[in-house]
Amino acid sequence: MRRKTNIPERKATAGELMIEVKNLSKSFNSRRIIEDISFKVHAGETLGIIGPSGCGKSTILKLLCGLLKPDSGEVIVHSKELGLVFQGSALLNSLTVRENLALALRARKLKRAEEEKIIVEKLKLVGLSDYIYSFPAQLSGGQQKRTSFARAVTNDPKIILYDEPTTGLDPVMSTVIEDYMIDMAKQFIPASIVVTHQFSTWRRTTDRIILLHAGHIQWEGSADEALTSENPYMKQFAHATREGPMLSNGIEV
Amino acid sequence: MTFSSTSKSLAKISLSPLAFVEKQFGQGVELIGQCILLFFQTLYYIIKGEIDWHETFRQSYMIGVKSFVVVSVTALFVGFAMSLQIARELVLFGGDTAIGGVVSLALIREIGPITAGVIVAGRVGSAIAAELTTMMITEQIDALKVMRIDPVQFLVVPRYLAGLMMMPVLSIYAMFIGLLAGIMIAHSAANVPPATFLDSVKQTILDRDFTVHFEKSLLNATIVIIFSCAIGLHTRGGAEDVGLATTRTIVWTMTVIFIVNYIVTSLTYAPR
Ligand SMILES: Nc1ncnc2c1ncn2[C@@H]1O[C@H](COP(=O)(O)OP(=O)(O)OP(=O)(O)O)[C@@H](O)[C@H]1O
Ligand SMILES: [Mg+2]
Repeated sequence: MRRKTNIPERKATAGELMIEVKNLSKSFNSRRIIEDISFKVHAGETLGIIGPSGCGKSTILKLLCGLLKPDSGEVIVHSKELGLVFQGSALLNSLTVRENLALALRARKLKRAEEEKIIVEKLKLVGLSDYIYSFPAQLSGGQQKRTSFARAVTNDPKIILYDEPTTGLDPVMSTVIEDYMIDMAKQFIPASIVVTHQFSTWRRTTDRIILLHAGHIQWEGSADEALTSENPYMKQFAHATREGPMLSNGIEV
Repeated sequence: MTFSSTSKSLAKISLSPLAFVEKQFGQGVELIGQCILLFFQTLYYIIKGEIDWHETFRQSYMIGVKSFVVVSVTALFVGFAMSLQIARELVLFGGDTAIGGVVSLALIREIGPITAGVIVAGRVGSAIAAELTTMMITEQIDALKVMRIDPVQFLVVPRYLAGLMMMPVLSIYAMFIGLLAGIMIAHSAANVPPATFLDSVKQTILDRDFTVHFEKSLLNATIVIIFSCAIGLHTRGGAEDVGLATTRTIVWTMTVIFIVNYIVTSLTYAPR
């Protein structure tokens, strides 16, 4: 059975500038977390942000979607349709999976059948069709993550921000999600930012990565370059060694 | 000089009493500001008619139906105690036939609204504060904002409307349960037949008393819902803050309910 939908074409044009971050700084309780960071992301491009725990990766994503205000600097986001996959899923506990996805469609005021179709389609992508009427508390951590993922892309946003999208998933489901991220990037050409610790995820999904440490961008380049880089920070991170400049900062050895 | 060094070391251990009061006062002023702002934001959505009725009825059930049992028990025993005291004194002066009037006046003007208000503050206000604080901490509120849904419209408006609808019902109900208790006490302790009791009620209560009752219950609903939502939506931190937010809500809502109810009473009934 085929039905026509009147969903507008939502593709961005490849190469169009979507995210611009200029000299961004942010402190919490007078502790500098982000210091004078600048980068750009274009449509169709996936930027990876990597760095040690607590270096401010999630903070950057929150600054990008307006949940936090920068102390100084500028964040320019050239689209109102923006999806964020939260690190902790952030599903509404009192709502079912279906209702959680419907939230993202609320502003579009669709007919119920139309809404249903989009929701079912998105849930199928993450393999959760059978859980449409489950509550978040009835799902495993990985299933919650996938639901959160489906919710973030329900609206086919032009900008997608992923905070640890594959952490806590089994290797097979990680690959499925990575494939889907790659698919999304090809199909809808959104500008994406992926924050991740998972090697396979930044290897497979990103076009370019930045390595964040002590508030600054310490290294920038492609995933392939990252593996052979002689930059002391990138080298230490890529090879997961204790020897290097990263441990001296705040973490007791 | 020993004095100053002692006070210095004390200051290190804890805040000085003055600084403590200052901090508490500052936080109180901040909370009241947040409540006023939240109240007008809520009103804005209600006036614009952007109301999720489905959620409003769900909340009405949570607030109203689930408070019924507690209100019943509380009102019954407050009614017993109060009627007993009133009956005892009036019998001494030979005013047996006036028991119904005095009991009902106390119930409709003061006890009904305040009993319902305090019970809803304890049962519903604390639950709302805990729920919203948890939603803040687990980034559910952030998720709403990213999807361009205003938490005030989505969470506060239905709760507020549900409170406005259910609080008068609970207040009136508390009043009737209290009256029932009064009838029982008057009959058993002072030998006043129910018919005499009710006669006295009819002769004493004025329309104005119902208006005041209604006003008070709407004010109490506003206090409970707005304070609990404002506290919930402004708490950050971890799991232990859920407990703190709940306690803070109960302390604030009950205190403000008692103060505001007295203000209404004094504006309406003070002898001129
Ligand atoms: N709302 C806040 N208030 C105070 N401090 C905060 C707040 N949010 C984050 N921080 C602090 O800012 C720092 C960066 O936090 P952030 O969550 O961005 O780290 P991250 O790079 O995402 O780490 P992880 O890889 O562990 O998720 C941390 O030290 C954190 O304690
Ligand atoms: Mg993080």
